[in-house]
Amino acid sequence: MMNVNRIVSKSVQIGQRLLARDTRHAGKEVARLQQRRSIRTHSRNLAYAKDLFLGQVNKAEVFPYPEIGNEEVDELNQLVAPVEKFFNEEVDSAKIDREAEIPPETLNGLKELGLFGIMVPEEYGGLGLSNTVYARLAEITSLDGSIAVTLAAHQAIGLKGILIAGNEAQKQKYLPKLSSGEHIAAFCLTEPGSGSDAASIQTRATLSEDGKHYLINGSKFWISNGDMADVMTVFARTEVVVDGVKKDKISAFIVERAFGGVTSGKLEDKLGIRGSHTCEVSFDNVPVPVENVIGEVGGGFKVAMNILNSGRFSMGSSSAGMIKKLIELTAEYAATRKQFNKSLGEFGMIQEKFALMSVNAFVMESMAYLTAGMMDRPGLPDCSLEAAMVKVFSSEGGWICVSEALQILGGLGYTKNYPYERYVRDCRILPIFEGTNEILRMYIALTGMQYAGKELTGKIKEMKKGNIGMALGMVGKKLRSSLGSPADLGLTGKDGVVHPSLAESSKKFEQNVGLFGSTVESLLYRYGKTIVDEQLVLKRVADVLINLYAMTAVLSRTSRSISIGLRNHDHEVLLANTFCSDAFFKNNYWMTQLQKHSPENNDANIKKIAREVLENRAYVCSHPLERTY
Amino acid sequence: MKCARCLLQLQCLRLVGQSARSAAQRGALLQSASSSQPNALLSTPHQALRGFHGSPAHAKGRPVPAEFIDDDDDEKKRDKSLVAHDDLFERVAKEVKTKATFNKVVDVFIKRDVRRRGHVEFIYAALKKMPEFGVERDLVVYNRLLDVFPKEVFVPRNYIQQMFNHYPRQQECGVQVLEQMENYGIMPNVETKVLLVQIFGEKGHPTRKYQRIMYWFPKFKHVNPFPVPQQLPEDPVDLARFSLTRIANDRDAKVTVHQLPCTDVTESGEQITQPHIVGIQSPSQVELLAKHNPSRPVFVEGPFPLWLRKKCVHYYVLRADPTPPDEKVEEPFDPERCLDYPLQLELDLDRDLGDEESFDVEDLDEGPVFAMCMTGRGDQAVLNQWISGLQENNPILGQVPTLFRLEAGPRELQGAADTESAHYHHHHGPEPETQKEERQPQEEEVTVEEEPRTSQRMKR
Repeated sequence: MMNVNRIVSKSVQIGQRLLARDTRHAGKEVARLQQRRSIRTHSRNLAYAKDLFLGQVNKAEVFPYPEIGNEEVDELNQLVAPVEKFFNEEVDSAKIDREAEIPPETLNGLKELGLFGIMVPEEYGGLGLSNTVYARLAEITSLDGSIAVTLAAHQAIGLKGILIAGNEAQKQKYLPKLSSGEHIAAFCLTEPGSGSDAASIQTRATLSEDGKHYLINGSKFWISNGDMADVMTVFARTEVVVDGVKKDKISAFIVERAFGGVTSGKLEDKLGIRGSHTCEVSFDNVPVPVENVIGEVGGGFKVAMNILNSGRFSMGSSSAGMIKKLIELTAEYAATRKQFNKSLGEFGMIQEKFALMSVNAFVMESMAYLTAGMMDRPGLPDCSLEAAMVKVFSSEGGWICVSEALQILGGLGYTKNYPYERYVRDCRILPIFEGTNEILRMYIALTGMQYAGKELTGKIKEMKKGNIGMALGMVGKKLRSSLGSPADLGLTGKDGVVHPSLAESSKKFEQNVGLFGSTVESLLYRYGKTIVDEQLVLKRVADVLINLYAMTAVLSRTSRSISIGLRNHDHEVLLANTFCSDAFFKNNYWMTQLQKHSPENNDANIKKIAREVLENRAYVCSHPLERTY
Repeated sequence: MKCARCLLQLQCLRLVGQSARSAAQRGALLQSASSSQPNALLSTPHQALRGFHGSPAHAKGRPVPAEFIDDDDDEKKRDKSLVAHDDLFERVAKEVKTKATFNKVVDVFIKRDVRRRGHVEFIYAALKKMPEFGVERDLVVYNRLLDVFPKEVFVPRNYIQQMFNHYPRQQECGVQVLEQMENYGIMPNVETKVLLVQIFGEKGHPTRKYQRIMYWFPKFKHVNPFPVPQQLPEDPVDLARFSLTRIANDRDAKVTVHQLPCTDVTESGEQITQPHIVGIQSPSQVELLAKHNPSRPVFVEGPFPLWLRKKCVHYYVLRADPTPPDEKVEEPFDPERCLDYPLQLELDLDRDLGDEESFDVEDLDEGPVFAMCMTGRGDQAVLNQWISGLQENNPILGQVPTLFRLEAGPRELQGAADTESAHYHHHHGPEPETQKEERQPQEEEVTVEEEPRTSQRMKR
């Protein structure tokens, strides 16, 4: 099994090298390759994050750091400049926020720049750009949260269904108008009683008597672009016959507002991203032709999952873009504002905030572009796990950084005279939408656990049966690792991929990975399949994995930067080492908590507190001023 | 230090409070005792002052006018007999026994003799009479009773006195007062402490008793997570509402008043009293009932007693037998249920025994309870009304056969014949006669089997 894996990964490695060369020499061709990507059926066995669960580093997947060809870089720069100019000069974010409306001229400007069809292939009128370039553009569009969300709802989820699962006719019919921005798309999945629970979707599509139409009935909640969308991807329950038994299954439909019967409710008054339109959309006997089913009838679940999984990676670069902008603004203030004859930047606690923001932005960037680069590789690489990790890390890091940026300005930051409070409000949505971070942590941890469990079941069963040889082997391994020969996974040294100046960090990473592998094994030994119910354990597993992936990304990126001599790469080394050592200690702490009977672990108490509070449905304690005598 | 300050503060407070209170109370007393005005004015400041200088020596210095105490000839005579103090209460409160009259008696006793002769007997008698006067839960009254003890006389003056039981009868009596307070759940206050210290000293038995009470009482005061209020609601509907929420212990459960108690007069002049019907049902019970297999009957059972302090109320339940194991359907796992993460892992690994935290509990499926109700009259017709009321939210009840298994309620004890007739059938839907007859013996069997279970429940 292992051998097969190795062979596969070897061949993949070779393929990649060849392709990498291709990329450098013929950027254009790569773009075309990517367009054809969806046609390919062969799926690569890409499992970087999953392999970490086994304590292995599949270094061929993440080293060297993915890059784009020179021509693509030029193209990108040509594209970025006008977009940046547009956002700096034409977009009045304060007004958008105040009036809760993106002005039509701004929307038209965005359409003219082609931002409504960044990833739609050129043959359908889009820009046909890769995930990497999309991530780069997201950095700029995120400067205005409302615009970013409107664009994301349109193309990251709204039209994605047609793009990845639609047939040729559907693409021909809908994509050109969507990518020009003439039509706007929306993604209609959430319902009042259904978030992640597909079983509680109530919207129903029934086949008409002539068999040519589906009639859709029901209503969808919190639909971004819901009021202005002309084309919607709607998920509804349909009756499907499986093995002679009638069953309800989810199907995906392309619904045009022009079909009739589509009404949208009042716009929601939101905390942030106020310029984006969110509302309820109701469907009353909307006739949808049968050819508008995306994929197969009853195959909507897979479509929805693929759309959701593919849309998340760009949040890393968006957050990074936002933080970089905030660093600029606050650094200006910290350098000029004086207190006690010192500039603000001379105070340690202010310096700490800048370091925090820089490290976070750096890590997010590294993770986002590593993931985007992996997704851009040929085949249909499944990077959903990595994308989910990027989303969790960057949404939480973004929230902390934005609030720290506001803190630097103190009271000034709290006023509407400065954009910080708007950023704080806009940023708050990130941990909530596109799958809440809690749910994504479950996804991250459980996907890995499932993968590791399949590999380890046999071994664990042998151990449980009391196989002495196996047990002794385990003891020996434990002894060896505890006696100070840390895991060497070959990142540094002779065949090393990490630059020597990062050797320390790389050792820490390897040590963490080794410990993570054995932690996962012991968790599987202890909980087996019932680990699904141990959410607090899974949360730590997910957090450790996110940190490991983040460490990988910074190590890989910085190694590349040093090797090709990018400007200020010494600063990158500093950031990378800072982050790695920080993450190393956090990981160690979390993994200690995951040990059996660990005194650091407070889970039982946490659960008990929550249970008592929830039984009481209020804060339990009496008031401290109360007395009994 | 703190205690001393407290003492002083309290005395001041008492001074003010008492002078005001006693002015009123004694005013009333004095009027009834037909004493002269100047005396009344004289006695009030004297009472107030006593708080500060409680020594008998001081009290001796101020003789109380004789006519004030010996206002009644009868009293004097009876004073000599053993039952004197009981009688004092009876005589003073001939018509009404209230707090005011009780206080009056205490006042009469206090003013009769400077030396408070017979105070121990008086206090015992007073303790016995307290429930009659309805003051057994009144802290102020207890403090007044303690006030009857002369101050400083019983305080031990040296360690030998302290070692032995100094003035044992008095101390015992003091303990008895506190014991009665304890039995009625009355928590003493600082005033009590001040009195006890004045009377028996810091180390006296009653003071120690006080300390023990103050150690335990605050700890026990809120120990019951389901407190029953001291005053239960008078209205039967409110009482039913309170009792039902108490049994259900589910915050989502909804109380429905199916019928308010009312009295109608028919054309023939007969009075028909409609009893109240109050039911409770939670959303999860509605859900359970909706899933109930309509071919299996549901039962209305009762009455079961529920004690609320000294009151006993009765309730009825709508329940079903547990689903037999072969009818239980487990919901099949749907892998396409969660859009974001796998709800189950496809692993062939169970939890390790060392991490098994659940106890081995033998589960006994008792069958679901779908709803509960309380009513003023637990006969079948009334309960039937309840069931029809429930049908609004539980349409399935229209199809399910409903059996009434009512036991002789508290009101039906006398008529044994009624009890038997109470066990019979009721169907909401029309059902052929033959089927009904078939069910009859079976149902009776069930009733017999049910007996131990219901009795068990009643014990709880």
